[in-house]
Amino acid sequence: MKRLALAKLVKQRLRKDDLVVCGLGATEAAFKEAAPANPTYYASDPMGIWASLALGLALARPKQRVTLLAGDGDLLMNLQVLATVATAPVPNYRIVVFHNGSYSSTGGQPLAGKLSFSGVAKSVGFEWAHEARGEDETAKRLDELYARPGPALLDVWLEDEPCPTAPPGPLSQVEVRTLFMRDIS
Amino acid sequence: MILEQLKKAGIDLVASLPDQWLGELIKQCEADPAITHIRLAREDDGVGICAGAWLGGRKAALVCQNSGVLLAVNALGGIAFHHQIPLLVIAAHRGHFDDNQYYQMYKGRICEPVLKAMGLPHWVIDGPDELPMIGDAARQAYLNRLPVVVLLRKKALQ
Repeated sequence: MKRLALAKLVKQRLRKDDLVVCGLGATEAAFKEAAPANPTYYASDPMGIWASLALGLALARPKQRVTLLAGDGDLLMNLQVLATVATAPVPNYRIVVFHNGSYSSTGGQPLAGKLSFSGVAKSVGFEWAHEARGEDETAKRLDELYARPGPALLDVWLEDEPCPTAPPGPLSQVEVRTLFMRDIS
Repeated sequence: MILEQLKKAGIDLVASLPDQWLGELIKQCEADPAITHIRLAREDDGVGICAGAWLGGRKAALVCQNSGVLLAVNALGGIAFHHQIPLLVIAAHRGHFDDNQYYQMYKGRICEPVLKAMGLPHWVIDGPDELPMIGDAARQAYLNRLPVVVLLRKKALQ
């Protein structure tokens, strides 16, 4: 499955008041192409900090669902954050991993290890963590992910597609941050 | 007393990683029903949590050792500083005259120069009398839209 197909499957399942935190690089490119209507906080460098940022957002907005779209290399960089998420009071927090096993924006270098993110999530205390391959299985697992309370994680295996770095957009992170906060206030 | 200062500043979310000097504060955070206490495994996750909370309208603090501030430099610079997101860091200032281990000493030597190089405001609290500065530091963070780091000596944490 291609990453755009996953981005579209997630988008179809979002409610109007859901919040999204989206990892940088290929994940960002895919979700932007899917054109979500939901307020979305797009990551910048450094990688590894967005699962905790999404956790903070979920703690601040307990009545809204927060979904983190995590690139695999991004999440791998601070993998211990899953232990922190597992015991945090966040039934509104869900993670979807875009897992292609490589750093797409930098030339497709393979990730270290042969990681099962759902295996790690379960071993640190997630009650629900699964992996999925292909559109049918992914659609079914996404329905399950949103049907139950979080924290929960779905690790979706994707084709390895290249993703050239996008040029900078018209707005800086501070400007984007300000608009995001206004949107959700 | 420290927790009272945090509450007065409107902070009700604390992410912590233990240090020997911070045991009492962390115990109080865990026990207080008005505080959401999040257990970290690495300090830069605390920067992410505090930043995300502020995006959603909630004030948070990271409680850790000063070595954790050093570890979190990239997150403080890349998220809190670059996105102009305020948060308060309460750190045990290990490795000075009041400490007693070889392996603590580098922390005392390099933490403040690193914070200066980053352009982040920081304050050293010497003893209990100065704890109200925590509220001032929080206000400074929110007005600057920047992280502010409060470094506490042993006497201030006893």
